[in-house]
Amino acid sequence: MRDYWLSKLFFDLQSPPLAEEYRAGRKRVLDRYPLKPEVRAAVESDDVAHLSTLVNPYLLRFYFLMAGMPEEDFLRRIRATAAPVDSSLPNSALRQAAIGSLSGPGPENT
Amino acid sequence: MAELAGVYAASHGPMIVRSWEKLAPAEKESLTSAFSELGKRMRAARPDVLIVISPDHWVNFFIDNLPAICVGVGEVHEGPPEPWLKAFPHRSLAGHPLLAEHIVRTAIEHDFEPSVSYRLALDHGFCIPLWKTGVDPLPPIVPVVFNDLEPPYPSVRRCFDWGTMLAGAVASYPGNLRVAILATGGLSHSIGEPTMGRIDEAFDRDCIRHFERGDPRALIDFLNERLPGAGNGASEIRNWVAAHGAARGRGFELIRYDPIPGVYVGCGFASWNINQRQG
Repeated sequence: MRDYWLSKLFFDLQSPPLAEEYRAGRKRVLDRYPLKPEVRAAVESDDVAHLSTLVNPYLLRFYFLMAGMPEEDFLRRIRATAAPVDSSLPNSALRQAAIGSLSGPGPENT
Repeated sequence: MAELAGVYAASHGPMIVRSWEKLAPAEKESLTSAFSELGKRMRAARPDVLIVISPDHWVNFFIDNLPAICVGVGEVHEGPPEPWLKAFPHRSLAGHPLLAEHIVRTAIEHDFEPSVSYRLALDHGFCIPLWKTGVDPLPPIVPVVFNDLEPPYPSVRRCFDWGTMLAGAVASYPGNLRVAILATGGLSHSIGEPTMGRIDEAFDRDCIRHFERGDPRALIDFLNERLPGAGNGASEIRNWVAAHGAARGRGFELIRYDPIPGVYVGCGFASWNINQRQG
C-alpha cells in the first residue's frame, strides 16, 4: 500500500526548483503536503526503513539522492531493512540466499 | 506495406551516464563496445521509424493514473527531464502519429486497451540507448511505455502477445516504411529495496539462454517463476519479452552481457535475426 501524499511529495521533488527549495528548508515545503504526523516525522528523521514501506522504491531512492544522503548511507540503511536471516536454515549458502547475495556494489565502489 | 527492419534490446541504467566518470575502465569498455555494436546494427537496418519500448520512471505518470501500456501518438515528444541528461543532444524528438495511431487501432482490434499520450517526455529509459548507440539522425520515434515500475505489472504473457501484435501492426501499416523496435531496460537489478546493488548473474544468464532457445512458453514460465526474485528492476525484461514476441520468438542473438556493479545492473544488449526461418 502506498502513502499517496508522501508519494506525491517525492514525485513533485523531481522538479529542480522545488528540490532546491526543499534542500534550503524542508519545513516550508512539507507544510504544503497533508502528511500524517508519523509519516512527516519519518521524513524529518530520514527514516529510510519506515519510508520504504510507504512509497515506490524508485521514488525512495530518488528522494534520498535528491536530499543529499550519501549513497553508502542509503545502501546501508535500505539493506538493513532486509528480513532477518533465519538461523535454522541448513547452511550458510541458503542463509545467504535468503537475504540475496549482496555481491554487487558496496559503498567502496559506488 | 511497412517492413520490420530490426528488433533490438539494450539496458539503460541511469548511472551509465550519471556515474560514467566513476566506472572502472573495464566497465566503460564493456558498455561502449556493446552500444557501439548495437548502433552499428541499428544503422544498418536503416529504419524510417523506431518503436521504443521502455518504462516511465515517474516522469509522465504517477499513482493517480498509471497505465499498464501507453503509446505516444504525438507529433513531438519532449526530451529527457533528468537534470543529469542535459547533454543529451535533443530537447525534443519527432514522433510518427500515423504509425502510432495505427498501432493503437491494431491493438484494440486484438483486445488490448492501451492508453495514449499526445505529449510524452522521454526519460533516460528511452534516451540513454538512443544516445549511446549513436544513431544520428534519429528517425521519428513511436514510444511505447510499459509499466515496469509499480505493481500491478502487465503479465509477461501479455507483453509477449503485445510484441506479436506490434509486429502485425507494422506488417499491416499501409505505407512504405522500414520500422525497427528497440526494447530497453533490464536485466537484473534492484533499486531502492533491501537487495539494492545486487546483480543476479545466474538469473540473467538463465534468462538469456531462454531467449536464445526461443521457446516462448518456456521463457514465460521461467520469468513467471524467477522474475520476482531478480530485483525490482528486472521487471523491465517485460520489454525484452515484447521484442521477442515481435520477432516471433526466434532469432535472439546476444551482443554482450556483463554484470556491471558500477551501474548496479546486469547489462544486456541483443538483436533478433528476424529473417531466420521458422523451424
